[in-house]
Amino acid sequence: MDLLQILVNGLSVGAVYGLFALGYTLVFSVLGVINFAHGAVFTLGAYFTYLLIGGAVGANGLLAGFQLPFALPFWGALPLAGLGAALVALLVERVAFRPLRRRRADPLLALITSLGAGVILVNLIQLLVGAESYAIPTGALGGLPASFPLLGARVRTVQALLLGIAVLLLALLTLWLEGSRNGKGLQAVAEDAETAQLLGIDSTAMVRLAFGLSGFLAGVAGGLVGLSVSIAGPYFGIGYGLKGLAVLVLGGLGSVPGAVLGGLIVGLAEAFVPADWSGYKDAVSYGFLFLVLLLRPRGLLGRPLPTKV
Amino acid sequence: MDAALLEQMLLGALLALSVYLPLRCGQLSLATPGFYAVGGYVAALLSTGVPAFAGSGATSPLPALLAEMVLGGALAGLIALAIGGPVLRLRGIYLAIATIALVEILRVLNLNLPFTGGAMGIFGIPQPFAHAEGYVLFTLALLALACWLCQRLEALRLGRAMAAIRDDELAAACVGIDTPRTKLIAFVASAVLAGVTGALAAHFFNSWNARAGSFDASITTLAFVVFGGSRLWPGPVLGGLVLTALPELLRPVGDLRLILFGAVILLGPLFFPQGLVTAERLHWLAARLGRGRHRGRQAPQAP
Repeated sequence: MDLLQILVNGLSVGAVYGLFALGYTLVFSVLGVINFAHGAVFTLGAYFTYLLIGGAVGANGLLAGFQLPFALPFWGALPLAGLGAALVALLVERVAFRPLRRRRADPLLALITSLGAGVILVNLIQLLVGAESYAIPTGALGGLPASFPLLGARVRTVQALLLGIAVLLLALLTLWLEGSRNGKGLQAVAEDAETAQLLGIDSTAMVRLAFGLSGFLAGVAGGLVGLSVSIAGPYFGIGYGLKGLAVLVLGGLGSVPGAVLGGLIVGLAEAFVPADWSGYKDAVSYGFLFLVLLLRPRGLLGRPLPTKV
Repeated sequence: MDAALLEQMLLGALLALSVYLPLRCGQLSLATPGFYAVGGYVAALLSTGVPAFAGSGATSPLPALLAEMVLGGALAGLIALAIGGPVLRLRGIYLAIATIALVEILRVLNLNLPFTGGAMGIFGIPQPFAHAEGYVLFTLALLALACWLCQRLEALRLGRAMAAIRDDELAAACVGIDTPRTKLIAFVASAVLAGVTGALAAHFFNSWNARAGSFDASITTLAFVVFGGSRLWPGPVLGGLVLTALPELLRPVGDLRLILFGAVILLGPLFFPQGLVTAERLHWLAARLGRGRHRGRQAPQAP
């Protein structure tokens, strides 16, 4: 495989990791905790997309044979799936995070409660639609060709889409964070929730906003991965969730550009692993993470935190 | 309750104690399943590949099991010792993620190394005990030993130092506690306990593969400790016993069982943020038991 092809593969996978880590990072920046239900929300986004483009549920599960009475084009289904995932993320915030915050409990507990929410979601999916894999037909893209040549390499349209949408979403998110009132509010809460509250920013609303956005990003990423690979069953978000965690730390916890940079680095590093060693691919990214943690514990683009006495 | 489930519960309690040890000095390490897997592979490889450990086909001698547990614990401890220095400089969530990464690296190695049997793993591991009851008694003894050591720790300088670091690391360092050394001791002890448990578990489960040490297991073992209570050793033991049994006890509800399990993990910390076992509840329990015994002793004197 020539260099360009490897680059394209690596960047498109990295874009998914980046989208995933963006969701983690939004929640982390306002609450200082990791949302372990994020992988399940991503998975749901993929299933929502599949259903919205008119896919039918298989023979297992309570919803066997279910099909929506309408079929949307992929372009319509993807944002709707993102919205659906955002609603689920808000629900997760409501049941797994808000009660703990209200009681001022140890933030460590949110790791466990969000994991509980993730376990419920994943098993609910299995109960409803079964454990089989679903594929989103490539015809869902309408008239677009499956792949196109670029400087001698063959680029799958899906790969280009993944990268394009990730970059677009990152740009929009950055513009929104820097330029809008709510974006500034979110940053203020991330900096210091109590002071932000005193200055008249509704920090609860900002937390909800962060969850909604992170759910939307996860849902869109799920739909794109479903199109690019397939939906390998209710558990398929877990692997991406773990990789997203590595990316999150690599880029720097709470840093938006760091999440995307980390995603692209991990995606590229994996793409450069030779085929004979493909079994070790996952270890490469975690080894990388390990090194970065030891050499630069705040991640590549993270800010050092002051030590509080 | 059948002996096989009881054995799994006891193994869960041992793993929970392994997560508890670093938490006792405030270090959130999720590396336990990685070391558990390493210990299991040591036992599996020795007892299926080395004649001295293998015994006669299906059964293996008890001294061989003990030797494997020592070696499994030692290898896990050595890995912990090697990486502990730099890793334990990390704090809070960074340490947690670094240890998750460690578990994943070990899992990928276990899956791909030429001698670990790939995805299928190693099977046909010989049995030192003919029945599950034998395992239960043996594991009960091991758990009792681990609990006794944890209890002893409370009275030792080391245990006090660990508690001081948990409450305030900076203050602990200021009063002359060697914090890096104390944290390293807790981390290595946790790894040794997990490795020893893994060596025993490999025999009990009869086969061993890379799934023994996964991210899911990291979080499940953490849930044991959070659910049971992370301040006192009876907490993780109770959490390990209860949460290991729960998915099995919920089997009658069929497909809903993992959803209910998730609900328990979700609701547990909301209603018991300190975990089930707290100092207050233990005192209350001790007082009640004490009164009961008192009444019992008085009864014969009554006219």
